[in-house]
Amino acid sequence: MQIDIGYRPAHSMAKISLNPGEQILAESGAMVGMSTNVSMTTGMQSKPGGGLLGGLMAGLKRALAGESWFRNTFTANGGPGEVLLAHAMCGDMQVVQVPATGLHLTSSSFIASTPSVNIETKLQGFKGFFSGEGAFVMQANTQDPNSQLIFGAFGGVTELVCDGNLVIDTGHLVAWDSTLTYKIGKSGGGWIASFLSGEGLVCHFQGQGRIWIQSRNPVAYGQYVGGQLPPRKG
Amino acid sequence: MQEHQPMAAHGGMPGAMPMAGGGAAVAHEITHGPSFALLRVDLQPGQTLVSEAGAMVARSSHLKMDVKMSAGKKPGFFAAIFNIFIAFIRKIMGGESFFVNHFHGGTPGSVWIAPQMAGEITYRRINPGETLILSSGAYLASVGDIEVKLKFGGLKSIIAKEGAFMLKVTGSGDLWFNSYGGTTAVDINAPFMIDNGHLVGYEGQLTMNLKSAGGGLLGFMAGGEGLVCEFNGTGRVYVQSRNTASLIGWLTPMLHG
Repeated sequence: MQIDIGYRPAHSMAKISLNPGEQILAESGAMVGMSTNVSMTTGMQSKPGGGLLGGLMAGLKRALAGESWFRNTFTANGGPGEVLLAHAMCGDMQVVQVPATGLHLTSSSFIASTPSVNIETKLQGFKGFFSGEGAFVMQANTQDPNSQLIFGAFGGVTELVCDGNLVIDTGHLVAWDSTLTYKIGKSGGGWIASFLSGEGLVCHFQGQGRIWIQSRNPVAYGQYVGGQLPPRKG
Repeated sequence: MQEHQPMAAHGGMPGAMPMAGGGAAVAHEITHGPSFALLRVDLQPGQTLVSEAGAMVARSSHLKMDVKMSAGKKPGFFAAIFNIFIAFIRKIMGGESFFVNHFHGGTPGSVWIAPQMAGEITYRRINPGETLILSSGAYLASVGDIEVKLKFGGLKSIIAKEGAFMLKVTGSGDLWFNSYGGTTAVDINAPFMIDNGHLVGYEGQLTMNLKSAGGGLLGFMAGGEGLVCEFNGTGRVYVQSRNTASLIGWLTPMLHG
């Protein structure tokens, strides 16, 4: 499988070149185009052996997390095939090999992965509600050293290496190695100062690993543009 | 008329580079331009980065962040009251935030900064004696002895509902400003006109007049060009490739209540 990302960083699109019989799993709605010998099946992607109920639960959890209920699997039949995938928002895409230690993703950033990657939507609990990223995060795990995963972002994506400590604005966080631990907290000295600073809540990361950030904050952008729109009638 | 593509538009710039007449710039890099530019500033002990409130994307944990009011440095109670007033005016009229954040630390560290809007970040060294006028909202961050003051745009600007307040940047240090879309620096030595909504900033030695783009009252009402800024003198004007008011005008009819 070969993945090429074009039109970066503003309007990126992924071209996935599949060998005969190869598969890619993608978020529903991400498909831009595909070869005629590529077939698409729609499923709820539960854990292996989860059955119908497991699938329903996995789909429900994703729906609550703001992702789609279904995911699509693309298979190249009888020869090589191509699939084109894009994100809903303007911005960059990144291809990563999922490490054996796992990868965390914010819930709307997943675009596609090889079928060997197991993706679970997890309730972040208390800290999720306040992080601005929603109550859910996604966890990607795999034993396959050749696994690949594509995520999308709003704006450009930068990979930061956390070696000890980094503070990340919650609205700019996209993905991070599961080896890292983080706490949601205030950005500055006191709560009042943090509020006035306009930074809101931030993630304090600790440990060793990679963090991917996006160069724009979707909520801040929405407030900036939305604040200038005339009020809705009715 | 010459056009310069600022170095930042090519998505990156070398770290500490010597600048004519003003010492060395603080180490920094601008990436992901021109559509979604991100600024990274590498601070050394003793250096303080000042940024617009809410612009921080990430920082090294050991760097301290202090919130300060966006106006004035004078000590004393009355100065503080005056500063609150000025900061308030700036918030209401200038589109700038009431507060700024100061980042500094005892050991080297990095801060990543981004504006809210899609677009470019442009770096400029401000030398003593230089003045740069920026559109309200264009200020992003600075290092050094940089002062940002409000400048009243005149009666015409109030009628035009645009550019009522501009920002006047003076001092000595490093300045970063943001734009919607890409930024082009235009060096002029003859009268030059740009659409009001595309103006990012201009050098203080230039004179600027707001006028209708031509065609009298009808042109003003129907031409779609609204007001234009006419510049005279010799100096640099910064122009952005997109106009926020046009975006809003385009979006509004498509959003159904």
